[in-house]
Amino acid sequence: MHTFYKGAPDVVVLPTSAAETAAVVRLCRQARVPVVPRGSGTGLIGGAMAPRGGVMVAMTRMNRILEVDLPNRCATVEPGLINLWLSDATRAHGYFFAPDPSSQMVSSIGGNASTNAGGPHCLKYGITVNHVLGLQMATGAGELVWVGGKAHDRPGYDLPGVMVGAEGTFGVVTAVMVRLFHVPEGVKTLLASFSSIEDASETVSAIIADGIIPAALEMLDEAMVRAIEEGIHAGYPKGASAVLLIELDGPRAEIEAQARRIEEICRAHLALELRVSQNDAERALLWKGRKEAAGVIGRLTPNWLLQDAVVPRSRLPEIMREMLAISARHRLVFANVFHAGDGNLHPIICYDDRVPGELERAKQANEALMHACLAMGGSVTGEHGVGLDKAEKLPYQFAAADLNFMARLRRVFDPDTLMNPGKLLPDHPACAEGFRPAAALPGGSWV
Amino acid sequence: MVVSVQAARGALAEIVGSAHVVSEPAALEGLAVDGATPRWAARPGSVEEMSRLLALASSERWSVVPRGSGSCLDLGAPPARVDLLLDCRRLDAIVEHTPADMVASVGAGLSLAALGAALGRHRQRFPVDPVGGASRSVGGVLATGASGPLRFRYGQARDLLLGVRFVQADGSITWGGSKVVKSVTGYDVPKLLAGSLGTLGVIAEATLRLHPMPPASGSWLLSFRTPGAAAAFVGAMLDSTLQPERLVVANAGALRAAARPAAPAAVAVSVGSIAEAVRSQGSELVRMGREHGAMVSDVPEDVWLELGAALAGPVRLKLSGEPARLCHWLAEVERLAGEASVPVSALGDAGSGVLWLSLGRAAADGGWLAGAVGTLREALSGEGGNLVVERAPRSLKDHLDVWGPIQADSLAIMKRIKREFDPTGILNSGRFVGGA
Ligand SMILES: Cc1cc2nc3c(=O)[nH]c(=O)nc-3n(C[C@H](O)[C@H](O)[C@H](O)COP(=O)(O)OP(=O)(O)OC[C@H]3O[C@@H](n4cnc5c(N)ncnc54)[C@H](O)[C@@H]3O)c2cc1C
Ligand SMILES: Cc1cc2nc3c(=O)[nH]c(=O)nc-3n(C[C@H](O)[C@H](O)[C@H](O)COP(=O)(O)OP(=O)(O)OC[C@H]3O[C@@H](n4cnc5c(N)ncnc54)[C@H](O)[C@@H]3O)c2cc1C
Repeated sequence: MHTFYKGAPDVVVLPTSAAETAAVVRLCRQARVPVVPRGSGTGLIGGAMAPRGGVMVAMTRMNRILEVDLPNRCATVEPGLINLWLSDATRAHGYFFAPDPSSQMVSSIGGNASTNAGGPHCLKYGITVNHVLGLQMATGAGELVWVGGKAHDRPGYDLPGVMVGAEGTFGVVTAVMVRLFHVPEGVKTLLASFSSIEDASETVSAIIADGIIPAALEMLDEAMVRAIEEGIHAGYPKGASAVLLIELDGPRAEIEAQARRIEEICRAHLALELRVSQNDAERALLWKGRKEAAGVIGRLTPNWLLQDAVVPRSRLPEIMREMLAISARHRLVFANVFHAGDGNLHPIICYDDRVPGELERAKQANEALMHACLAMGGSVTGEHGVGLDKAEKLPYQFAAADLNFMARLRRVFDPDTLMNPGKLLPDHPACAEGFRPAAALPGGSWV
Repeated sequence: MVVSVQAARGALAEIVGSAHVVSEPAALEGLAVDGATPRWAARPGSVEEMSRLLALASSERWSVVPRGSGSCLDLGAPPARVDLLLDCRRLDAIVEHTPADMVASVGAGLSLAALGAALGRHRQRFPVDPVGGASRSVGGVLATGASGPLRFRYGQARDLLLGVRFVQADGSITWGGSKVVKSVTGYDVPKLLAGSLGTLGVIAEATLRLHPMPPASGSWLLSFRTPGAAAAFVGAMLDSTLQPERLVVANAGALRAAARPAAPAAVAVSVGSIAEAVRSQGSELVRMGREHGAMVSDVPEDVWLELGAALAGPVRLKLSGEPARLCHWLAEVERLAGEASVPVSALGDAGSGVLWLSLGRAAADGGWLAGAVGTLREALSGEGGNLVVERAPRSLKDHLDVWGPIQADSLAIMKRIKREFDPTGILNSGRFVGGA
């Protein structure tokens, strides 16, 4: 986590309604003061920090479910609602909210929509944008708008589509309308361990090449498995160099047959051990290690950096080899737990900031890894977003015309660049045209 | 500034070669866009040529209409004038396809049929199947936000568009999105381009998310004695754990047009999976259908083409309301049409609640259409629904707002977007919502 970012807002406000939120944004607009929207603060990109000061608008008090509409399979919620609470509220009726970032116990749906969050199950179910039907936003232009809604098709531009994932740079999201999915008939989880990370990576490709899209396909490497076993005793195979966690869901007949096929594929790729859950309790146990991985990182290292770049799935074996080389070159331990089915890497780069130069080395290794991913046709970020952390990396993936298009799009919603300034877009000449920096909040002001 | 017609032709020929410029009046008449004959047509062979064409058009303030396969050029308000028809069909390469990644980058002019054939060899597909056939271009499908029955399982084109290379009105070549299945790097520009009807840029290349072709599939047609029974069955299906690929409601008119046995209403379902799962899901849905009083038959895959053909009438409407009210809106349309003896074929996607309606000749002839559209729009406004006139004779379109009212605050943002990216208004101008 990028704990080395510092930057406190001058004021924090906690609105309780969309109207209050819009009024705060309008006031800030008059005063030309930056606005930093914040959900639960679990973001990993420095997105909800205030490096330029200003007013932080925290949505934690706006956390109600406004409507559950089962006939239309959707729900409308306030942005501060915790992701998991929505599934908890609808599961008894047979429904759930599919986007499941690993932080779903604490992250907010407004934050998920603003970062367009992914999660283990988005391999099959799609990322947050595929589940947002509409949203309400207090924009940087001073409006309070509702875009989208229960009717799925609307003439005109896909406004919810572009407003999702804007990371607070268009405005503050004050309500979100999301789709609900029916819980599947059956769920089956398999765990396979391998003696090399390459065998595991090739298994991932082989499963997909076989025409099977599992609900989730996660990989953990040796360092991660060891830390998990020492920390929480999830019962993962000792000594494995890689563990795959594969989940299937859907009609029972389909997942039974797919599970048999996956077992064959794993064996053909020299799996050391294969476990298949027979019931929910066993399934929960297989997931336990994955779900609590973040909590055990402290056992590995005092400080860590997390990369979130993506490679085309077929390049997984190659990038894993490259990663070993980078970690050796920079003399640092990398631990991996990631969404292998999407090619979305999450290496945790361990360092100790008490050791002189180690943070620098960690940053260099992180950078080298991101460039390796891009060189393979990948992407700078797969799910965490750009934020403050990666804004300056955008030019590696986009040309000036592309950046300019994005900067102009932003100005449609936020003409004065007051919304979360410094996030998502780089300080690049292509983005600067017409840029007017926000003023800092004068001392002694009150809002 | 190019002064004469001759000079303009020369300037175009210099960019694409004279074999790829059309300026003969007779040929141009055949390329008319909803009654407006273009002054020139040009077929760029690369994105660079497309860029130079648009740079020229923008310096000349020519109005430009991009063209894919031309099946749906009349979608939208009729153009006041067309100077340059920008034909994308030469951009038909499969630029990149790595089967293991299930991603393909293709030229905008590639037809769905050609794409399907290439992907089929790897047992993959781009699961967008707009009713009306596979001759459509990928660019046209994306620009119109087209969807078909497979949307029930795989979403719309926008959900499958990962990256897009397009040329802005001023000629700048721009890329948005990524070439991998998961990326949140920057704004989701592909979402903005999908369904924008070529008003923000001309799509040159698209990176698409693919799906595996299921090893086995089956289709069923369930006929019901009343529309209400069909609606109850759809509700039960949606509330069940079955996972069909398509779930489409068809009315009596659509069954007739598709030469299927007559019934007041039917539901067409397909399942794609491994063979045993197709069998077990199939028998479960047959059981559910019978429980709801249906006559069930398993039907060949062709049924989807036949049903699609039912939408080929002279007037086509697309209605989108609350998904749960799909059958209510179908009944409402049938009542209105019945009063005026206008034949109507209807297909509705049960997942999204989107209903496509094809009205017979009588609607095209009379003044009835404007009234019916107005009545439906007013009723739909209560639930935030809308109705688009996708196709109608030009004489009727002149008296219709084809898009219908758009929420004022959304429209204000849409207009700002259009003004930002096409300030001189040369791209399909005036044809999109609110005159954008
Ligand atoms: C242990 C752990 C696991 C994680 N796993 C995943 C994962 O699997 N997938 C994934 O995608 N992410 C993951 N994350 C990252 C993070 O949880 C997500 O990005 C999440 O969506 C952020 O939600 P939040 O409410 O905490 O937002 P915050 O961190 O508060 O904010 C994130 C960004 O969104 C903006 N924002 C927040 N709320 C609003 C609003 N109402 N209006 C406008 N802008 C707003 C902020 O300005 C900021 O730019 C993980 C994080 C942790 C700590
Ligand atoms: C009989 C019939 C039934 C149909 N049924 C349905 C249906 O059920 N559901 C549905 O969603 N659609 C339906 N459609 C619509 C049709 O399938 C799509 O709109 C079609 O995909 C358009 O493709 P095209 O290549 O023919 O585009 P064209 O007709 O050539 O162009 C359509 C529009 O897109 C623009 N355009 C074309 N190419 C580009 C480009 N490269 N960049 C930017 N703009 C571009 C054009 O300017 C024009 O405005 C139907 C069409 C027909 C003829």
